[in-house]
Amino acid sequence: MDYINAENITFSYDEPEAAERHEVLRGVSLGIRKGEFVALLGHNGSGKSTIAKTFNAMLLPSGGKVYVDKMDTQDESVLYEIRRRVGLVLQNPDNQLVASVVEEDVAFGPENLGIPPEEIRRRVDEALKAVEMYDFRLNAPYKLSGGQKQRIAIAGIIAMQPDCIVLDEPTAMLDPRGRTEVLDTLHKLNREKGITIVLITHYMDEAVQAGRVIVMDSGRILTEGSPQEVFSQVELLKKHQLDVPQVTELAYRLKAVGFDLPGCPLTIEECVAALEPLLKKATVGEAYGDH
Amino acid sequence: MIRDITLGQYIPGKSFIHRLDPRVKIIITFVYIVFIFVASNFEGLLTMSVLILGILLLSGVPLSQYFKSLKAILFVVIFTSVLNLFYGSGNVLWSWGGIQITSGGVANAVFVTIRIISLILFSSVLTFTTSPTELTDALERIMKPLKLLHVKVHEIAMMMTIALRFVPTLLEETDKIMSAQKARGADMESGGLMQRIRALIPILIPLFVSSFRRAYDLAMAMECRCYHGGEGRTKMKVLHATSLDAVAVVVSMVVCAAVVACNLYFPAVLH
Amino acid sequence: MAIIETKNLTYTYGQGTPFQKTAVENINIAIKQGEFIGVIGHTGSGKSTLIQQLNGLLRPTSGTVLLNGKDIWEDPKKIRSVRFKVGMVFQYPEHQLFEETVLKDIAFGPGNMGLGKDEILKRARAAAEFVGLKEELLEKSPFELSGGEKRRVAIAGVIAMDPDVLILDEPTAGLDPRGRDVLLSQIVTYHKTRHNTILLVSHSMEDIARTADRVLVMNAGHAAMFDTTENVFACDRELEKMGLRVPQITKIMAVLKAKGYPVGTALTVEQALKELIPLLGKGNRNHD
Repeated sequence: MDYINAENITFSYDEPEAAERHEVLRGVSLGIRKGEFVALLGHNGSGKSTIAKTFNAMLLPSGGKVYVDKMDTQDESVLYEIRRRVGLVLQNPDNQLVASVVEEDVAFGPENLGIPPEEIRRRVDEALKAVEMYDFRLNAPYKLSGGQKQRIAIAGIIAMQPDCIVLDEPTAMLDPRGRTEVLDTLHKLNREKGITIVLITHYMDEAVQAGRVIVMDSGRILTEGSPQEVFSQVELLKKHQLDVPQVTELAYRLKAVGFDLPGCPLTIEECVAALEPLLKKATVGEAYGDH
Repeated sequence: MIRDITLGQYIPGKSFIHRLDPRVKIIITFVYIVFIFVASNFEGLLTMSVLILGILLLSGVPLSQYFKSLKAILFVVIFTSVLNLFYGSGNVLWSWGGIQITSGGVANAVFVTIRIISLILFSSVLTFTTSPTELTDALERIMKPLKLLHVKVHEIAMMMTIALRFVPTLLEETDKIMSAQKARGADMESGGLMQRIRALIPILIPLFVSSFRRAYDLAMAMECRCYHGGEGRTKMKVLHATSLDAVAVVVSMVVCAAVVACNLYFPAVLH
Repeated sequence: MAIIETKNLTYTYGQGTPFQKTAVENINIAIKQGEFIGVIGHTGSGKSTLIQQLNGLLRPTSGTVLLNGKDIWEDPKKIRSVRFKVGMVFQYPEHQLFEETVLKDIAFGPGNMGLGKDEILKRARAAAEFVGLKEELLEKSPFELSGGEKRRVAIAGVIAMDPDVLILDEPTAGLDPRGRDVLLSQIVTYHKTRHNTILLVSHSMEDIARTADRVLVMNAGHAAMFDTTENVFACDRELEKMGLRVPQITKIMAVLKAKGYPVGTALTVEQALKELIPLLGKGNRNHD
C-alpha cells in the first residue's frame, strides 16, 4: 500500500441555488509513495485543491476512502495523527501565519501537539535552519517577502515532523525569486529529509522538476506519469488549454513537420542537445554543398 | 501614510527590564499605577518619579522614544495642568477679573502633571520592553484563575495574538484598497461629512470581505496545524520568575511602603 | 509628441526620516501614443513606485510627469482628472470590488467622472463586453463570481473610464493557464480596437514577449533598458545579472547562436520555427 491512498473518491457539495449537486471529484484513485515528489496540475475547478484537502482530512470524500499511512481519514480518533503526518501549506502566505514573531509561529504546531518546551525549541531551530530562515527567527512576519513568509509556513509544518507536505499553489502569489526560493527549499527537504512532497501548481517549469506529474481535469485524472511522459502529450495538454514548456512545444512541432528529434526535451539544455546533431548535419551539409 | 502607524511598539533589547518575567512586569506596572494615585503629596510622588527615572535608564530604550510617547499626549498634559492651575487655595499670585491663580493652584498643576507623566512613562516601559506575544502570554497565565468562572482565557489570549499579528497586514491592505479606489477616481478629500462617510464605503466593504477571507484561510491553516483549543497545549517559552524578579518585587514593595509612609507623615497636596 | 513622458523623475520614501529610501531615481522615458510597453524588473526594482507616479497616486519627490506635454501636478486640485486619463489596474484588483452588482461596480469609475447616467451605463456595458463578461452576470453580486470573473470585472471597472493610457500591474497573477491566456488576448484585442497606450507590468517574460512593442527594464530604481522587445531580450546576459530571465525560446536561440549556428533571434515558438525549419530542412526531414 502506498503512503497516501485515495480509492475511487468522489466529492460534491450542494450549491445553494443550483438544482443539482456540484461534483468536484468524480472517482479519483491515486497513490502517493513515501519520499516521492509529485506535481499536481490542472485548471481552477479541476478538483486538485479538493483532493489535496482530503489528504489531511480537512475534507472527507463524499464517496470512496482516503488512507494515510494505513489510517482511514474518516476515523476521527486518528485525526491529529493524520494532520501531524501530512501538513498542508496554502496559497496566501499572509493568511497562514498566526504569531507576530517568526519563531513563535513555527512553534504553533508543536505546541498544539503538547510537546515539551525544550523539544519544541530544538525543533523550531532545526525547522528554521532547514528552510534557511534561522537568522529571521525574531522578525515580524509582515516585514518579510512573500517567498520568506512561505518558507516560514513550511517551517511551521516541518516542526511537526511530518512525513509529507501538501502545498496548494504555494507559489501563485510570489515573484520569480520567491518561487525559486520555495521550490529549492522543497527539493532540499525531499532530498535530504526524505519528506514526501505533493505540489499543486499552475507553473509548468515547477512541474517539470517533479518526479511524477498528475494532471487533473473536471474532477478526474487526465493523465499521469514522469514529466517526459506527461509533457510529450502536447496535443492532449493543448486541447485542455494547459501549458507546455516552450522547449517541449518547439521539439514537438519540429517533429510534427518531419524532423527526427530524440525524446521529449523539458529544459533548455535537453533541447539544445536534441537539436545540435541535426544542426551539425545541416550546416556541415551546407559547407560541403551536399544537398 | 497609514502604514507608518505602529502598534505595540516593542523595542527589542536585553536589559534587566527586558529580562523580567512579563507576569511580574504586568503586576508591578499595575500596582505602580495604583500607587501613583495613592501618593497624595510631593514626597511620595517624587519617590516614585525617582524610581521611574531609574527604570527608564535601566531599560536601555533610547530616551527619545519616551519623549515621543509623551509628545503624543502633550495636549492632555497641558490641558489638565492648566485646568488645575485655577483650583486650590493659598496665596493669590495673580488675578484678572474673577480668575485667580493661587500658590495652591500651582502646586496642584505641578502635582497632576508629574502624575500624568509618570503614568505614561510607566506604561511605556511595559510596552517598550515586552513583546506583544509575551504580553498576551503573560495575561493568559495571570487570568488563569478566571477559568473557574468559565471565562475562556485561552481563547481570549489567542484572539489577542491574532489581532496583533493582523493589524499591520490590514493596515497595508487598507492602503492598497485606498490607492485602487483613488485610481478609479474616488474622491476622499473633499465634500461634507456625509459625503466623506459615503466615500468610505468603497474602502470598508472590500476590507471586510478580505478580512473574512483571511479569517477563513487562517482557521484552515490553524486546523491543519492540529489546533484544537487550549486543552493539552504546551508552550515553547516557559515563563519562570528568577532572582531578578525577586529583586524587582522587593524594590517595588519598599517604594510602595515609602509612599504609604509619606502619606502618613506629610500633608496631602490635593484636596 | 509623447503621450507620457518623465523628466528626472525621483521618488524617495520617508524623506527626512532615518528610514529614507530612494525607490526611483532620475527616470527619463517617453512613451508614444498607441504603444504597448512591457515593464519588467524584480520586486523592489521600483516598478510599482514608477507606475503609481504616472497616474498621480504618488507625487514625485523631484522631477515631472508630463501627460500630453503638460505637468500632471501643475494644478494639484485637478489630479483626479489625470487618473481618468491614465487608468490603473492594481495587482489582484478583484480585492477592490464593493458594489451590489457587477454593473454598478464597473460603473463606479465613470460615475466619479461626473458623466450622465446613460453614458455611464453605456460605458460600463461596453467595458464588460471587452473583458468577455456575459450579460447575465451583470446583475449578479460580484462576490458570487469565480476568481477569474472577478478579476475581469475589476479590469472592466478601469476600462470603463476609457483612459488614454492603461497601466496593468500583473493582471494575470494567480490565474490558471486558461484564464491567463484568455485575459491576455482580451488585453491585446482591447489595445488593437481602441489604439490606446498600454503599460503591462509582468513577471512572465513569455507574456511580455508575446505582447509588447517595447520593454522597460527597471533595476535598483533606475531605468536599466528601454528598447524594442527584440533588442531587450537579446541582452540575456545583462538581464540575468539583474535577476531576470528571457523567454525559454529566446534563450535557446541565443545558446545555439553562441555555439556558432547561423540562427536569428526569436520571441515566440512560431518565430523560432521560422528560423529553424529552413535551416534544418537540409537533409534532416524524414520524408525527404
